[in-house]
Amino acid sequence: MKKLIAVLLSMAFLFSVTTGCSKKIPVIGISQYGEHASLDNCREGFLQGLKDAGLTEGKDFTVNYQNAGFDDAIATQIAQNFSSNNVALMCGIATPSATACYAAAEDKDIPVIFTAITDPVKAKLDSGNVTGTSDKLPVDAQLDLIRQLQPDASTIGIIYTTSEPNSVSAIADYEAKASEYGFTIEAIGVTQQSDVTQAADTLIAKGVDCFSNLTDNNVVGVLSSVLEKTSEAGIPVYGSEVEQVKLGCVAAAGIDYYLLGQQTGAMAAKVLKGEAKASEIPYETISEYGIYINSAALSEMGITLSAAIADKAIESDKA
Amino acid sequence: MSSLFDLAVGTMTQGLIYALLSYGVYITYKILDFPDLTVDGSFPLGAAVTAVLLTKGFSPYLTIPVVLAVGAAAGLATGLIHVKLHVRDLLAGIITMTALFSINLQIAGSNLIVDRAVNTIFTAAPTMALLGGTALIYRKLIITFIIAVLFKILLDVYFTTKSGLLLRAVGDNSVLVTTLAKDKGTVKIIGLVISNALVALAGCIVCQEQRSFSSTMGTGQVVFGLATVIIGTTLFKKLSFVKGTTAVMIGSILYKVSIQTAISLGLPANLLKFITAVLFLGILVIGNYQKSGVKKSA
Repeated sequence: MKKLIAVLLSMAFLFSVTTGCSKKIPVIGISQYGEHASLDNCREGFLQGLKDAGLTEGKDFTVNYQNAGFDDAIATQIAQNFSSNNVALMCGIATPSATACYAAAEDKDIPVIFTAITDPVKAKLDSGNVTGTSDKLPVDAQLDLIRQLQPDASTIGIIYTTSEPNSVSAIADYEAKASEYGFTIEAIGVTQQSDVTQAADTLIAKGVDCFSNLTDNNVVGVLSSVLEKTSEAGIPVYGSEVEQVKLGCVAAAGIDYYLLGQQTGAMAAKVLKGEAKASEIPYETISEYGIYINSAALSEMGITLSAAIADKAIESDKA
Repeated sequence: MSSLFDLAVGTMTQGLIYALLSYGVYITYKILDFPDLTVDGSFPLGAAVTAVLLTKGFSPYLTIPVVLAVGAAAGLATGLIHVKLHVRDLLAGIITMTALFSINLQIAGSNLIVDRAVNTIFTAAPTMALLGGTALIYRKLIITFIIAVLFKILLDVYFTTKSGLLLRAVGDNSVLVTTLAKDKGTVKIIGLVISNALVALAGCIVCQEQRSFSSTMGTGQVVFGLATVIIGTTLFKKLSFVKGTTAVMIGSILYKVSIQTAISLGLPANLLKFITAVLFLGILVIGNYQKSGVKKSA
């Protein structure tokens, strides 16, 4: 009897579920790994990209937006939900969500569009009915920027999470290119967020000339407390995208996730309109990067901008 | 309608996979009365080993015995730390769990994705020979159902053996075990070994289903396991013919159903855990109500 009740209860749960299949308007399922300024920008840019391509929300498509709160098991269930409802297209923002979408679409031909993934090859998202944009950092531009702002600097400290493939590949990139610009890299790997501030203390004690920050989720999560320590020690921190500069990094040669999302939205529009299949579109790396500066942080560190940089730079101070 | 059916199938699959973890927690928490935190480490351990074996080209079926063995080793470590080194139960689990975080990363290198070209237990030739005609989501359900039920039956049978009865006795009345001239430490170790082997197996199947391993996938699994055990055993408290393993299996499915319902209703993602907490509380209250409503028999 109770067993019956339990079964009925679970059926009731399932039947209370709203279905999206009866509507004719194609549904775009957006699965975002968590709420996080950069990822939110990605999503807003994505919707703008669709709009720019002449598609109107509510008329040409509807959006089913979900975020997993940084929980892999929930990302799985979100992707399953999209797949079961046969959405027209899935958009996965950040690696765990994108790979979950791709796994859920394994036996269906639902196109998956990803964004905010550094290394789509490593994430095995480079073949199949899937495409998107990579947020690979412009490391050369960043090193060049640091060299121009701090002509005497010799060591750059970087904190990264050893389990994040994005960060590991960025570190390899930095180490390969640093010597060209006359830098050495002092990288500290951590395994969890609570180790980040300790790693910052270590780098400060080692006397690095500046920090450079990646798009490492763990580190970005506690960037403010890192910045507190570095500003006390008088060490400038360079960011990798605009949101980090807003938080107080001195400058960044980095990507704008809104633009990245827009580029992704344009790709999704092509797929939705039937102009191309996701499997036919190669993934793209962001073509544009900007120089972002935070004047307040720069003056605190006593760094003055050359006219050449000042012209290109976009002021990103929060205030 | 068909989409709703697919959704039910997918959710059921998740519930059945995670039921393996619930069995593990059921053994330690409910039977042995041992709050074992090793789970947060042994679950990703199973996934890490699976991801590496699959990428190296080993048979997906081989991953199952290998993962059972490494999971058992993790349980053995906690057991030995607790029994032989006299570390408190909670701390023994924390020590193994913490060590496993590093060990898992060492095994896998970093978070790993298993290429779609690599076969899993859901796509390998023997599976296809038997179930090739069915769509992947049904194959996943059938296979996870077989695995979940198989291990449930194995456990049920084990509980009726001498060793299984001793296991149950240690949690209920450890003095009795000592008077029977049996070492309760050994019994606890056996329980931890079986429990963590099952938990690691859950990690193995999740990895094959999701084609990925992430170092943080273990976070919160103990809580999930405890929730499903309590949901399951509370719901079926008065029905003594429903085995504990069946109850926690249903607990696991209900948990996944509640999450999927929240997602489907379009509730804000940040509230998902809150919904779970509400469900959890609701079931506990219903359980207590049943207890006072019926004549006190226990």
